[in-house]
Amino acid sequence: MRILERQTANAPSSVLYHRCVVDLASRVVRFQEVPCRNLEDVLGGFGRSFQILAERAIDRAYTPENPLIVNVGLLTGSSVITAMRVYLSGYSPLKQSSRGLPAAIWSAGSGGFGNKLRWAGLDEVIFENRSATPVYALLRAGDGGPQVELRPASHLLGLTTHEKILALHREHPGGHYAAIGPAGEHYDSVFMGAVALSTDNELKSGEGKVRFAGRGGMGSLMGYKNLVALVAQCPDQFPRITPEVKAVNQVVIKGGGSARFQPVSQGGSGGTWANYPVLQAFHAVPQENFRPRGTEDMQALFPENVEKVLDVRQEACVRCGIRCHNNIQERNPDGSRGEFLGKFDYEPLGLFGPNLGIYDGAQVAKLIHLCDNLGMDAISLGATLGYVLEYNQRHPQQPLFNGATFGDFERIRELVMQTGRGSLASIGQGVQRLSEGLGETSYAIHVKGLELPAYLPETNPGYAWAIAGGHMSMQTYLLLAKEGKTGLDDWVKAITRTGLLQVGHDMIGLCKFVGFGAAHETTARAIRAVTGLEVSVAELEAAVRRAFLRGLALERRQGYSDAEYTLPARVFDEPNPHVKLPQFVTREFFSELQRRVWQVFAPEMEGLLPEPPPAVASPAVARAASGAPEDA
Amino acid sequence: MQITVELHASFRIGRFKSQAISVPASATIGQIVLELGFLEKEIGIVLLNGRHASLGQLPQEGDVLSLLPRIGGG
Repeated sequence: MRILERQTANAPSSVLYHRCVVDLASRVVRFQEVPCRNLEDVLGGFGRSFQILAERAIDRAYTPENPLIVNVGLLTGSSVITAMRVYLSGYSPLKQSSRGLPAAIWSAGSGGFGNKLRWAGLDEVIFENRSATPVYALLRAGDGGPQVELRPASHLLGLTTHEKILALHREHPGGHYAAIGPAGEHYDSVFMGAVALSTDNELKSGEGKVRFAGRGGMGSLMGYKNLVALVAQCPDQFPRITPEVKAVNQVVIKGGGSARFQPVSQGGSGGTWANYPVLQAFHAVPQENFRPRGTEDMQALFPENVEKVLDVRQEACVRCGIRCHNNIQERNPDGSRGEFLGKFDYEPLGLFGPNLGIYDGAQVAKLIHLCDNLGMDAISLGATLGYVLEYNQRHPQQPLFNGATFGDFERIRELVMQTGRGSLASIGQGVQRLSEGLGETSYAIHVKGLELPAYLPETNPGYAWAIAGGHMSMQTYLLLAKEGKTGLDDWVKAITRTGLLQVGHDMIGLCKFVGFGAAHETTARAIRAVTGLEVSVAELEAAVRRAFLRGLALERRQGYSDAEYTLPARVFDEPNPHVKLPQFVTREFFSELQRRVWQVFAPEMEGLLPEPPPAVASPAVARAASGAPEDA
Repeated sequence: MQITVELHASFRIGRFKSQAISVPASATIGQIVLELGFLEKEIGIVLLNGRHASLGQLPQEGDVLSLLPRIGGG
């Protein structure tokens, strides 16, 4: 990133970012310094990548024309706490409209890769086409600027995500690594492939303490491109912590917003895991395929009970003061720490634990770790497995696959293994395809083809408008539990004014756990402290809003109809009496919510995409863009 | 007057699960919270007889006040 003059956001072209375009087919590498078109470009992340994706007409994910865009945010690599995010964007193999067109998606992750990419001198790498043979990309800082080369990767095939990372660490020490697992290698049968991002903790301990960019199958897109891993290699370049940055970091640590993620011993609640005891008070924990039974089984997975038998350590990404990772290890007979079992983040714990009827901490940790090692999105896999187990419960005479049912750890483990190794495409391609193939869609827990995170759909009608994962791109998922909001006006406001602003974090390079909004005075201060750019809160909010609405407009262009902005049918048709929260999401409520939300969004979405659709548009995309029926 | 206070999640550590307490009839939930040794900023969710409530509300005789810590996205 180069800033020609200290300007306001009104002169984005004075900010230039460093892009590298790698043609995987021809091996040609081009470096560009690109002037920003608008504040979304300046902020980076999906705000920039979605503008690139919008310029293309893509009618299937696995086509050479579908790029994989790897980029960072404006603050990535700075000394602001949590500023280490990297983003992977492309058209998703998993999320698709009813017209069969892939949705644009991004997924975000921490670990050390984003920092190293930025420090190597690159803000963005676009991988075009696909390689004829397996390769990994080596991105390095050179004397004259960044250097990029593709190297053979056959020796990495079949290794787990963690094994690939360690192998690349031996070959290229001093780097950080992004790798797919066996699931991504089997991209034809696994659409939910994730990308593992190395951490300092992982590289030092040799234990699989990896972070993930999981949502939407970017690991599968990498697999399709025969791009097995990325290495970003350069010396650490943490900038000096200026008084201005220090002041921002103090807001993060002491401001209260992030405090809930700190260990209990430090006055916090103990990471995202601590949500469970609170949500269990409402019986709002996803149990047995998002269908709480009103039982107290979940208590076995509360932190204080897991700590009785396993070693729990709250850890953080390097130089992050928010210790949100709960790493679970066996406890040896002498009380010392034993083998690393897995990590208890909110989503994997819920979706591989109670959602599959498993309440043994060690078993849950093992399933999470297996999913991580094979390189799949824990949310998509956990939700799809939940569906399979419920199907088998409903059809005991004709069960699917190995007949696994809720709580059957060994058979569930077998399903995870087989899916990740590419031999169970019906699971690997996600719950929408599976349920439609079986003709039982009401209890398939997804919205717009992307499986839901571990917050019940009946508590969050905002899911329908999330553009890249239910809890990552629409911050309404705890509104009911936290505030008891059930009014239509409250929900319209939450979706159209405040909830969407969450995506700003996935532009600027900060983790959502900083505890303040992406269009917030502290964010503006952070931008000023790191870059010298003067961006007002109002300008930030407007840019984040445009980026979100551009994503929504892109969904519509890819063929999403009004009917697809909905919730799983069971929410409306079979309210769960065990959930001790108001049951307010009726069909009537939702219908009115749809009308009111589109009334706000639709006019603002006009003009946000390149118009008319690119001349090279395929017939399917052109039909979707024109609104013409499929058979027109 | 008597009310019952229920604590959830990490609030139970070193405290109690459920306890009947005596409070002045004029005490708001916020005042009761402080009396119990919490800071207002620690409180995430307040329920009065199972319904979401605010710190400014006045409990009535026999009410059940539930206090839960803050939660955040995973």
